[in-house]
Amino acid sequence: MSVEQPIEHTGEPLLKLNNVSKFFGGLAAVQNLDLEVKPREIISVIGPNGAGKTTVFNLITGIYSPTSGNIVLAGRSLAGLSPDKVLRRGIARTFQNIRLFNNMTVLENVLVGEHTQLKANVLGSLFHTPNVMHEEAEARQRAVELLSFFGTELVERQEEYVITLSYAQRRRVEVARALGSIPKLLLLDEPTAGMNEAETLEAVKYVRRLRDELGLTILLIEHKLAVTMGMSDRIYVLDYGRKIAEGLPEEVRRDEKVIAAYLGKPTAADQKAAE
Amino acid sequence: MPTASMLLPTRDSRALLIKWIVGLLVPVMVFTFVWSGEAIINNVLLGLINPGSTALQGPVLIEAAIFIVVFYATVIALTGYLVAADSGRRRTIDLWIDIVVFTLVPLFLVINFGLVVGAALCAIIWPAYFFVRRRVRQARHYTPPPPLKNLEVSDAEQRAILMSRATTAGFWFAFAFAVVWLIVDLIYFFVGQLPTVLLIWVVIRTILLPIAGYFLGRLGGAVALRRTLAAKSNGSKSDGNVATNGDGRRVSKKRQLESLSTTRAREEAKDLVPNDLPLRSTGAQRFYLILIVAFVLFYPVLDPFLFGSGTAGRLAGYGDAGYYVILALGLNIVVGFAGLLDLGYVAFFAIGSYAWGIIGSTQLTNVLGQAPVNPHILSALFWPMLIVGALIAAFWGVLLGAPTLRLRGDYLAIVTLGFGEIVPIVFLELDKYSNGPNGIVGVQSPSFPGVDWSVITPVPYYYLILALIAFTIFANVRLRDSRLGRAWIAIREDEIAAASSGVNLVNTKLFAFGAGAFFSGIAGAYHAAKLGGVSPDNFSFGDSVIFLAMVVIGGIGSIPGVIVGALAVYAINQLLLAQLDSLATDPSNPLYAVHNAIVHFIPGFTFDNIRNLIFGIILVVIMIFRPEGLIPSARRRREFHAIEEDHEIEVGALDVVPGAPGFETEVRVE
Amino acid sequence: MNFTLLLQELVIGITTGAIYALIALGYTMVYGIIELINFAHGDIFMIGTFICITIFDQFGITASSAPRGFSLIGLLLLALLGSMLICAVLGVVIERVAYRPLRNAPRLAPLISAIGVSLILEDVGKLWKGITIVSFPQIFPQITYYIGPVSFSSVDILVLVVALILMVGLQWMVSYTRTGRAMRAVAQDREAAALMGVNVNRIIAITFFIGAALAGAAALIWGLKYGNTNFTLGFTLGLFAFTAAVLGGIGNLVGAMLGGVLIGVIEALAALIPDSSATGGFGLPHGGAAWHEAIIFVVLILILVFRPSGLLGQQTPEKV
Repeated sequence: MSVEQPIEHTGEPLLKLNNVSKFFGGLAAVQNLDLEVKPREIISVIGPNGAGKTTVFNLITGIYSPTSGNIVLAGRSLAGLSPDKVLRRGIARTFQNIRLFNNMTVLENVLVGEHTQLKANVLGSLFHTPNVMHEEAEARQRAVELLSFFGTELVERQEEYVITLSYAQRRRVEVARALGSIPKLLLLDEPTAGMNEAETLEAVKYVRRLRDELGLTILLIEHKLAVTMGMSDRIYVLDYGRKIAEGLPEEVRRDEKVIAAYLGKPTAADQKAAE
Repeated sequence: MPTASMLLPTRDSRALLIKWIVGLLVPVMVFTFVWSGEAIINNVLLGLINPGSTALQGPVLIEAAIFIVVFYATVIALTGYLVAADSGRRRTIDLWIDIVVFTLVPLFLVINFGLVVGAALCAIIWPAYFFVRRRVRQARHYTPPPPLKNLEVSDAEQRAILMSRATTAGFWFAFAFAVVWLIVDLIYFFVGQLPTVLLIWVVIRTILLPIAGYFLGRLGGAVALRRTLAAKSNGSKSDGNVATNGDGRRVSKKRQLESLSTTRAREEAKDLVPNDLPLRSTGAQRFYLILIVAFVLFYPVLDPFLFGSGTAGRLAGYGDAGYYVILALGLNIVVGFAGLLDLGYVAFFAIGSYAWGIIGSTQLTNVLGQAPVNPHILSALFWPMLIVGALIAAFWGVLLGAPTLRLRGDYLAIVTLGFGEIVPIVFLELDKYSNGPNGIVGVQSPSFPGVDWSVITPVPYYYLILALIAFTIFANVRLRDSRLGRAWIAIREDEIAAASSGVNLVNTKLFAFGAGAFFSGIAGAYHAAKLGGVSPDNFSFGDSVIFLAMVVIGGIGSIPGVIVGALAVYAINQLLLAQLDSLATDPSNPLYAVHNAIVHFIPGFTFDNIRNLIFGIILVVIMIFRPEGLIPSARRRREFHAIEEDHEIEVGALDVVPGAPGFETEVRVE
Repeated sequence: MNFTLLLQELVIGITTGAIYALIALGYTMVYGIIELINFAHGDIFMIGTFICITIFDQFGITASSAPRGFSLIGLLLLALLGSMLICAVLGVVIERVAYRPLRNAPRLAPLISAIGVSLILEDVGKLWKGITIVSFPQIFPQITYYIGPVSFSSVDILVLVVALILMVGLQWMVSYTRTGRAMRAVAQDREAAALMGVNVNRIIAITFFIGAALAGAAALIWGLKYGNTNFTLGFTLGLFAFTAAVLGGIGNLVGAMLGGVLIGVIEALAALIPDSSATGGFGLPHGGAAWHEAIIFVVLILILVFRPSGLLGQQTPEKV
C-alpha cells in the first residue's frame, strides 16, 4: 500500500523550523526541534500523548512565540507574527478539537475562511457597491466549490448550522474553511481522530487529494501509526518535546527509539517474566 | 377583464376564503368602526370637500389620506397573500383564536388604557396565552406537522391556482367589507350621524372597493408566488435555486432544503409558500412592515383621532424613546454582533451629548474665550455636528476599547464599566470645558428651513429621530450581513479559530467599539439638542445597565429584537411606572387599593420608586427562562438552547453528541 | 510633602483597606469557584449595614445610650453574628435562585443575572431605609490614641482586630479543614472534584455563605467606623473591593487581603493630590479626593491590561 508514484520533492523547503524550543515556565514543551517541509510533501509529526505536537503547530501559526529558534516560510521569517498574519503568509490549519463557529452555517464558516481573500471595506458594505456585491457572489461560489471537494453532501447541507453535523462532516467543513484562504501549507491536527475505519480511509483519501489535486503541502499530526505509514512522504517522531527520529516511513517504523517511546521500555518485572 | 366565473371560489378554496376573510375582516372592522378608521376617513373627505370644516387641512390632510389608502390597500393585499400562501394544514379555529388574541385584545387594551399600559398588559397576556396554548396542545397530544414536509415544487398549473385564490380572496374580502360598511353607514345616516354630502362617497366606495380588491389580491398573489419553489430551471447560469458541486452535478434548492435538520428547516419554512403558518411567514412580514412604517410615519396626524388630546406630550415622549432605540442598536453591535460585553456604553453617549452641548451653545465661546456666536449659525451647525460628534464618539470608542483587547469576557465588562464611570466624572470635574455639575444650558436646536424646532411642537424632533433610526437600522443590517459582520460573529464564537482564519482580532474589535460608539454619538447629539442642555447627572452606570437591559431583553444580536427591547425598556422606565402612579391616585381605580395596602408596610413605596427592582427581576427572569430575549435572532436561540431534538448524527460518529458540553475533552483515541 | 499627613492617610488607608479586604474575599472566592463576578456582593454588604442598624434599633440602642463593658461586647457580638448570618443566608438564596440555574449557560447570562440581583437589592435598600443617608449608631467608644503626631481611634483597632481574626480564620479553614480542601478542589477542577465525591452544589453554596458572611461582618465595622450608610453604598464599595480582588490576583485569598489594603491606601493617598486650580497647574481640578473613584478605576484598568493575573496570581495560558 505504498505511494503509487513517488513525487519528486526537490528545491528549497517551504517550511523550516530551526532549533525551535518552547518553554512554559520550567516546562519544556518543545526542545531544539529541526524540521523541514518541502513543497508538495505530506509530512507527518507523530509521537505519544503530550509529546508537544500541537505545540509545534501553535508555534508555527503564531499562537505561541518560540522561546528560541526561528521558523521560516518560503525564506521569510514568521517571527512575531500573529495568527492572522501567519494565515496571510499562506499557512492554514485545523484544530485537534474542531473549532468551528458553531452558530454559523456551513457556508458561513467557509466564507470566514475566505476573509483574507476579500477586500470589502465598511463603506462598500454599507452601500452595496458593485465591487463588493460581485466579490460576495464570487466568494459564495468559491465556498460551494470548496465544499464540493468532499462530495455533494456538504453542498446539500450548506445552509445547515454546523452544530447539527456529524463529527466527520464537521472535520471536513473545518478543512474547507482552511482551504478558503488559498493556503500554500495546510496544517492538519489529527484529522482522523475519533473516526472509525471507514471514515479514516475517507480522510486519508482526501488528504492525498488535497496534495494531488490542489497542489497543497501538508503537515499533519497523527496518532494512528498505520495511517501515517501509508500516507506520508516523511515522518518526524517527537517524544517529550524532542525529535527522536525522522525519515521515511519504513525507517521510522523500525526505529528502536520510536518503538520504545510508544510502547515504553521493558521494566525489570517484564524482563523477569520473559525469562 | 375578470369574468364572473373566475371570481367564484372553487370548492377547495371556499374553506380557505371563509377562514381568512372572516378572520381579517373582524379586526379591520374594529379599527374602522370602533376605534377611529371611519373618523379619519370622514374627516379627510370633509376636509377635501369643505376646506376648513375640520381639523385636517393642508399637508396634514394629505398625509391622513395617504395613510388611509395605504392601510386598507395593504390589508386587502395581505388577505390575498395569506389565502394564496396557506397550506391549509392548520385549523381555522386555531387561526381565529390567534387573531383574536393578537389583534383584538391589543386593540381593546390600547383603546381603554392608552398605548403604554395597553402594551404592557399585552406583554403579560401573550406569554400567558402561549403557555396555556402549549399546555392545551400537550393535553390533546397535538403535534404540529413537521416543517418542509412534502416540499412541493410548483409547476405552472399550481401557480395559476395560487394566483386565482389570491385574486378571489382580495375580491371577496373587499366586497364583504364594502357591504358591511354600506350597511353601517346607512344606519349612521338614518340615525343622523352621517353628513349627507358623504353619501356620494358611500356609493363610490361600495363600487370601487371590490374592483380594487381584485387587483390588490393579485398583488398579494404575486408576493406569494415569488416565494414558491420554482421548478428546475434549464439555463446554465447560476440562480438561487441551484448550486453546483465540483462534479458538475447540480444540487437543487429543493434537495438542499430537504436535507436540513428540523430546527433549521423550521427557519427556512418561514420563507416558503405553501406555508403552515402564513401569518408568520416572511411574505406576510413584508405587509406588516408596510403597515408599521405607515403607522409610525403618519402617527402625528393619527394621534388626535386615536387617543384624543395630549398629542404633543406623547410625541415628545416618543421622540425620547427614539434615541433609546438608536443606543440599543449601537450597543447591539458591540455586545450582540461582536460579543464584547460593554458595561460602560453611557460614556460614549455622554461624549456625543457634550460634543454638541459644547459646540452648539454659548459654552463654546466660554471655552474659546471669544465673543458669542450668532445662535442661528450654531443651529445650522447641528447637521454636520451629528456626523462629527458621532465620529468623535467613535474615536473615543476605539481609544477606550483598545485596553480591553486581550481581556476575557467578565474582565472586559469590568474595564468598560470603569470607563463608564470615569468619563462622567471627567465631565463633572473639568468644569472649565463642561461647566461642571451645573451642566450646559441653552443648547441650540437644529435648524431646517421652514421648520419650527421650538419646544412647543415636538413634531420636527419626532421626524428627525425617525430619520436617524431609519439610517441606523439600514447601517446595522448592512454591517451585519457583510464581511465585517461575519468577522464579528466569528470572534464572538471563537477568537482563536477566527484569528487562525485570517481575522485581525485587534482591528475587528476596535471597529466594533468604534461603530457602536458612532451611533451613541448620534443619539447623544440628538439628546442634547432636544433637551436643550447637558448635565453630568444624565449619565451614570445605571444608564449603562438600562442600555444593556434593552439589548438583553429584546434579544442580543437581533435587530428587530433590540428595537422592541428599547421601546419596552423605555416604556417601563419613563412611562409605565409614572402612569401607574397616576392611576393609583384615582380612588375609582383598583390600583388605588393595591397601592394603599403596600404603602401600609413600606412607607416609601411608589411605583416609580421600584423601577430598578422591576428591572432587576425582569433581567433575572429573562436570563433564566428566555435568555435569547423577546425576539431572538435565529442564531441566539440555538446558542442558549443547545440541540434538543435533532437526531441527525450518523452511525459512524462517536457516542458523545457534537457540540454538547464536554464533547471536546473526549477526543483521546488509542 | 507633609510627612505626618502622609502617615495619617496611611492609617486611614489601612483601616479602610481592611474592610475592603473582607468584602474582596467574597468576590474572589466566588470568582475562583464558579468564575462569576458577583455584582450583587457589594449590595449584600449594604443590606448588612441596614441589618445592623435594625438590630440596634430593636434594642433601642443609640450612640448616646450605648452600653459599656461586657454588655457592649455582647451587643456587638450579637450584631456581628446576626449580620453575618442573615447576609450569609441571603447570599446562599441568591446563588440558588439567580445563579445556579445558569451554571451551564454562556458566560453572559449569569453576569446579567447578577446585575439584575444587584438592582433588586438596591431598590430593596431604597424602600427599606429611603434615599437619604442613614445614620449608623457609632456605639463603640471613640478614644483617640497617638503615636507621635499620627492619630488613630479605638474604632480603627476594632476594625483591624475583627478583620484580622476573620481573615486568619478563613485562611485556616481553607487550608486545614475538609471543607476548605473541597473548596479548593472545586475551584481547580469542578468535574474532577465531583468525580472524587465532592458535593459540588453544597460546596458552592458554602462558598457563597462564607463570602456573604464576611461582607456582613464588614458591614458592622464599616458602620461603627463611618457612622453612616446609604442604599448606593454597596455599588461603589463593591467595585473598589472587586478592584482589590483583581489587584491581588483573583481566586487568591491572600491576594484579596493584600489588594484590599492596597486599594484602601491608594484611595487615601489620592486625597493628598492637590487641587490644580489652587496650585495653578499641578494636581487635579478640585483636588484628588474628588477624583478618587476615577483613580481607583484607572488602577483597575491598568492591572487588567498589564498584569491581569494580579500581584499574587499565576498566569495560566489558554489551552489551545
